Amino acid sequence: MTTASALRDIEATTGIEPIVAWRTWALTGHRDGSNLLLRPVAGRSRPWRPMQVAEAGCKHTRLHASPSLGCTCGLHGTHGIDLLRRTRCPAVLGRVALWGRVIEHDHGYRAQYAYPQLVTLICQFCFWQWGSHGAGPDVVGWFPRDGLVPLCWSHLELAQRYGMEPRRLLSADEVGLALRETYAVDQLARW
Amino acid sequence: MDIGRPQRIIEIEPVSLPLPSPDLPAYEPATEPAPDPSPVEPVDP
Repeated sequence: MTTASALRDIEATTGIEPIVAWRTWALTGHRDGSNLLLRPVAGRSRPWRPMQVAEAGCKHTRLHASPSLGCTCGLHGTHGIDLLRRTRCPAVLGRVALWGRVIEHDHGYRAQYAYPQLVTLICQFCFWQWGSHGAGPDVVGWFPRDGLVPLCWSHLELAQRYGMEPRRLLSADEVGLALRETYAVDQLARW
Repeated sequence: MDIGRPQRIIEIEPVSLPLPSPDLPAYEPATEPAPDPSPVEPVDP
């Protein structure tokens, strides 16, 4: 909990270059791999639409501009990758540009505006276990309600063994390319 | 996800938005100029 006196001591600066941070998204799309949309991994926040600036909003209250110091609202990004390994069911890892009003925290940021810069599909189980040392996904499973889950072969087999059976399998390379074309961004090559 | 305590506020007005151009102009091949006419050999009278 941040106290009111602590909030008063927050430094304020200005800048002209967007901040670049790490972020994960969930991914949705049709069964043929079309209509791809990046979505926040938590809650039911609005998707990040292709070619449009993502703008923060606060679902707790509409009485303040987002991000607000005394709230947790805003478009989140982190300084490093490790913190993102705890996010729920990530499908895409990327570098994101943040601008407008940006609040820097100990381990990341909350911003008013954002757009992805570099993206890559990740196998959520590899990412959770090994972080940046994990293998890339081989396939993307399509699930009801248009959920897309990238998986490596071994974790696909494990998922199927425990009843997580995709309705359809798509090529991870093809979905990754379509995602980059949809958002007009580059591949996150090394991370 | 806990990103810790707020440290500072930064107001960023980028010179150019970090957003791809929505519609790049379609590629139109340049019209090649017509080749120069071959020089005519002078004919002796």
